[in-house]
Amino acid sequence: MSDQPLQSDENGETSAFRRLLSSLGEPVLEVAQTIKGIFQVFGLTWYYMLKGRPRWKATVEQLHEVGNRSVLFITVTLGFLGMILIYQAGYQAERITGDLQMLGGLFLQLLLREFAPTITAMMIATRVATGMAAQIGSMVVTEQVDALRMCAAQPVDYLVVPRFIATTIMMVVLSIFAVLVAYSAGAMTAYFSFGLNVRTFVDMSFIGWFDVLLGLSKALAYGMAIPIVACHAGLNVFGGSEGVGRATTNAVVNASLAVVFLDFVISGLGYVILGLVT
Amino acid sequence: MSPMHKIARTFQRPLHLLGDWAMGWFHHIGGLGLLTWQVLVYLLPWKWNFDGPETWRTMYRVGVKSFPIVVVTAVLVGAIMVIQSGLYIEQYGAHGLLGWGAGYAILRSVGPILIGLMFSGRVGANNTAELGTMKVTDQIDALRALSIDPVAYLVMPRFMAMIVMMFLLVVVGNATALIGGALTSQFLLDVNMVLFFQSVVTYVLLEDLMHGLMKSVAFGFAIAIISCYFGLQTSGGAVGVGRAVNASVVGSAIALFAIDYAITYAAL
Repeated sequence: MSDQPLQSDENGETSAFRRLLSSLGEPVLEVAQTIKGIFQVFGLTWYYMLKGRPRWKATVEQLHEVGNRSVLFITVTLGFLGMILIYQAGYQAERITGDLQMLGGLFLQLLLREFAPTITAMMIATRVATGMAAQIGSMVVTEQVDALRMCAAQPVDYLVVPRFIATTIMMVVLSIFAVLVAYSAGAMTAYFSFGLNVRTFVDMSFIGWFDVLLGLSKALAYGMAIPIVACHAGLNVFGGSEGVGRATTNAVVNASLAVVFLDFVISGLGYVILGLVT
Repeated sequence: MSPMHKIARTFQRPLHLLGDWAMGWFHHIGGLGLLTWQVLVYLLPWKWNFDGPETWRTMYRVGVKSFPIVVVTAVLVGAIMVIQSGLYIEQYGAHGLLGWGAGYAILRSVGPILIGLMFSGRVGANNTAELGTMKVTDQIDALRALSIDPVAYLVMPRFMAMIVMMFLLVVVGNATALIGGALTSQFLLDVNMVLFFQSVVTYVLLEDLMHGLMKSVAFGFAIAIISCYFGLQTSGGAVGVGRAVNASVVGSAIALFAIDYAITYAAL
């Protein structure tokens, strides 16, 4: 670890090889430490969620904070996403096949499987994870979390559990909302730019139970991962306003990485399962 | 309070909220415009004003330190895109088109925007936090007292470094995403790597790559201006720094999608 001095030879200098090893090992240890901490918070959250008493008021507050206050943000970003994707795809389809009949159906399938949950989660990771890390982080540096501990209220029970429940629920809701927004924006783009009839565009024949299940399980997984990662970053703050800044950065980076990683894992599993089913 | 008063209050409330909201937005848009103007003026050859050594240091901090995150993200994004196109390719049995589907999506849209979001999280948020901490501890005022222009000393180096490094990171990210995609197609989809790369080379145009790189420069510009602006606007201690970082990443995300749309619309 970094707080132990490296062993030095008789001239008082560390050898180049040792320095190389330590520079390689330090990031690995740091990452391992972070992952361990995140899983600790995750385990504690489940423990207190099942054992502790429910905190309805805090949970409803967090539902409002995570869900209602993200609606405008999600509408803007996912609306743009729908327009961008339809532009790119429609342009290609027109150039290569000249047939836009399947555009709407395939777009809906792709939205459900991939883009709606993942991009929504990236947006929630930026908006909500920074907010949580900043809020909990400033509570830590102003010693409010220590005060909670002195009142025999576990910080994880009191702070993390409501946020965990709220984000998990709202992530699913917002993903469904995101599908609607992106699909409507895509339909408008297809109508105004490619002259594609909205009735042709709205085509549900491609989607099956598999797509819906894949999208919802992704949304659920992201909804659990984001608050845990963000609260872990917030609870581990040290050192004043600089520390709060560092914690918010860590929260958004780790949450986005978690989203991308979970996306890879669940997509891969989905591919394998689809291969087994059909 | 008389009942009439109460009714009038109730009707005025939404207008108050709307006005508040609009004033806030216009305040930020005006501030962003002024900062952009200042930066562009300092870029003019006869007003050339920025700190050279600081720019090199910032480039190292911005670029080299974000390298691992960008590489990890890009590999995973490439893999995800290959899996998603693989679901269709399998259906129609057109294995030769796998590289095209994944490569087109990565180079043109998904690669730059996801790397941009990671960049905004890693570098933009960090930058806002740093400038915000300097602001709340009065270090920016101290610079002004020493007659050092904060824009020339703090904003310009970050601006240059972010644009250059965002461009370079997207170049690296595109390459690693294609490698990640090729590995996934080999080991998960059983499509030969060589076939994957042949398909990329055959069907993906140079124009697609250029389109993505153009976006990356615009993203770098937007993230730099927005993160510096919200950093310099910070007030109110540790809570304020957290709030500034939140505003900065939200603003950057909206800007990224809006710019992506504008460039896509303009290019077609």
